[in-house]
Amino acid sequence: MEETMNARQRVLGLLTRRPVDGPACFSGMGNVTTAGLERLECSFPSVHADAVKMADLAATSFELFGYESAVVPFDLCVEAEALGCAINTYQDVPQLLYPTIRAKAIPRTEDMADFQVAADFLERGRLPVVREALRRLRQGYGDRLAVGSYMLGPFTLAGQLVELDQLFLLSLSDRRLVEELLHKLTAAVIAVGLSYREAGADFLTVREMGAATDILSPRAFQSLIQPCLREVAASLPPPRVLHICGSTDKIVALMAECGFDAISVEPKNNVRASRELVPPETLIFGNLDAFKLLVHGTPAQVTQAVEEALEAGVDAVWPSCDIWPEAKVENLDAMVAATRQRGAELWWRNHGS
Amino acid sequence: MPSMDEYCVQLKQAVVDYNRDQAVAIAQTIVDQGLDAQKAVFDGLIAGMQVVGKYYEDQYYFVPEMLMCAQALYSALDILKPHMPQTDLGLKGQVVMGVVQGDVHDIGKNIVKLMFEVAGFEVKDLGRDVPLDDFVREQLSSDADMVCLSAMMTTTMTGMREVIRKIKEKNPKCRIMIGGAPVTEELASKWGADGYAPDANNALREAIAMVSSLHEMYQQAQARD
Repeated sequence: MEETMNARQRVLGLLTRRPVDGPACFSGMGNVTTAGLERLECSFPSVHADAVKMADLAATSFELFGYESAVVPFDLCVEAEALGCAINTYQDVPQLLYPTIRAKAIPRTEDMADFQVAADFLERGRLPVVREALRRLRQGYGDRLAVGSYMLGPFTLAGQLVELDQLFLLSLSDRRLVEELLHKLTAAVIAVGLSYREAGADFLTVREMGAATDILSPRAFQSLIQPCLREVAASLPPPRVLHICGSTDKIVALMAECGFDAISVEPKNNVRASRELVPPETLIFGNLDAFKLLVHGTPAQVTQAVEEALEAGVDAVWPSCDIWPEAKVENLDAMVAATRQRGAELWWRNHGS
Repeated sequence: MPSMDEYCVQLKQAVVDYNRDQAVAIAQTIVDQGLDAQKAVFDGLIAGMQVVGKYYEDQYYFVPEMLMCAQALYSALDILKPHMPQTDLGLKGQVVMGVVQGDVHDIGKNIVKLMFEVAGFEVKDLGRDVPLDDFVREQLSSDADMVCLSAMMTTTMTGMREVIRKIKEKNPKCRIMIGGAPVTEELASKWGADGYAPDANNALREAIAMVSSLHEMYQQAQARD
């Protein structure tokens, strides 16, 4: 395509449904690569609490592959840690591992009702680090690329604070208790999102990963989770994206009803069918396998997948999960190249055409 | 007074309805009356879990319902198990299982563990976020027949390859099953695993299938007797 916009203009134009010169190749989720780590000569565990390294690492995918966004943080434990969980960053483990929750903030379900979000939680854990990284990204790259950040959705965040099996059991046996916790966490997610926007994030993605129909029924999604997501969308300034992993065909219309500017889905979603169910003003992203394709596929397969996703009706070339660090450099190059070469032609929903 | 068959039907229904109190009460009655605890496990609890598996497959039940059913099953099993005679199904053995380091998602592993226990296996559960070498050490020290590794996160999965290599090197007869979202049949076979389940759904399905085949073996053993 003939490029008349830079990455930032293209991504933000797309997210606000203004005419753009072609589909963007970006996402609102993690994009750390081992190539990026090698370029900065740093280890993965060393970046999680260091705003400078976090910002620099997030920008490497733009510098190395032309990926059109830089996103921090890199793990899914930031909010949970600020709310009282202990995390493990695997400082001494040879293989690259993402931080996980070592100790739950609410280890006993008996304590769930009494759980309170601390008044100063935005200053706890690594939330200030993420905000500082966002500020640095905006200062360093804010004229060229889109700066993004993400939060977990309230239900997925609850699964970080409470044992997940207990949360699922209580969702059937003591719904009110779960609703009360989700109510508190919804307010916390909104507060984090607003603080990220204030720090420099151009757009936010809410990752409600535990809500797919592989796990919960559509009726549970509608009655328990959707009200929280509606509140999150209504309280955050656009643009904002809702991402759900796994099977989403049966809840895609419910996802759209939440009020986000875009929804992000995995390859398990039938995008062609979803496009019929989702209002035209809601963008659909994803449907590009971040692991099987980008780690184990070939450049030719990547090119084909990008083209198929656009033909099916996605509005951006957006890997449907974090880019796995081991993703092959040639595959990431192919993803960006395919977007540039055939994106404008294949993107039939281009609002500018 | 209900017959044994009627008790089994009630027990099965209690599991399907995730009615833990009812499952416990029936199991206790069966034990108190000196009835066949093994038949109750296979024709009641496992038969119930087979229905649950079907409901899950049909997306009538989801993970919360499945967990509630498993809870009812576990509670009844606790009562029945001490009263079960040993029927030789030719499948007794030890299983080492756990979720690999870097991963704390253990619901799938816990359900599979429950199924192994129902089937009479001795399970050594290493838990979640387990350092890779612990699997190897545990297999070597216990000489377990089977090692089950689970991972939901891709980055944690790559460590499985090394575990499989180390165990197979020392004990080629040990069966290794790997499971989790990022696992593919191609990877499982490339790494020398004996079986795989690509996601939590599939792990549950596989566990149910295993129990179903045990049910058939039990019925065949009964018919022989």
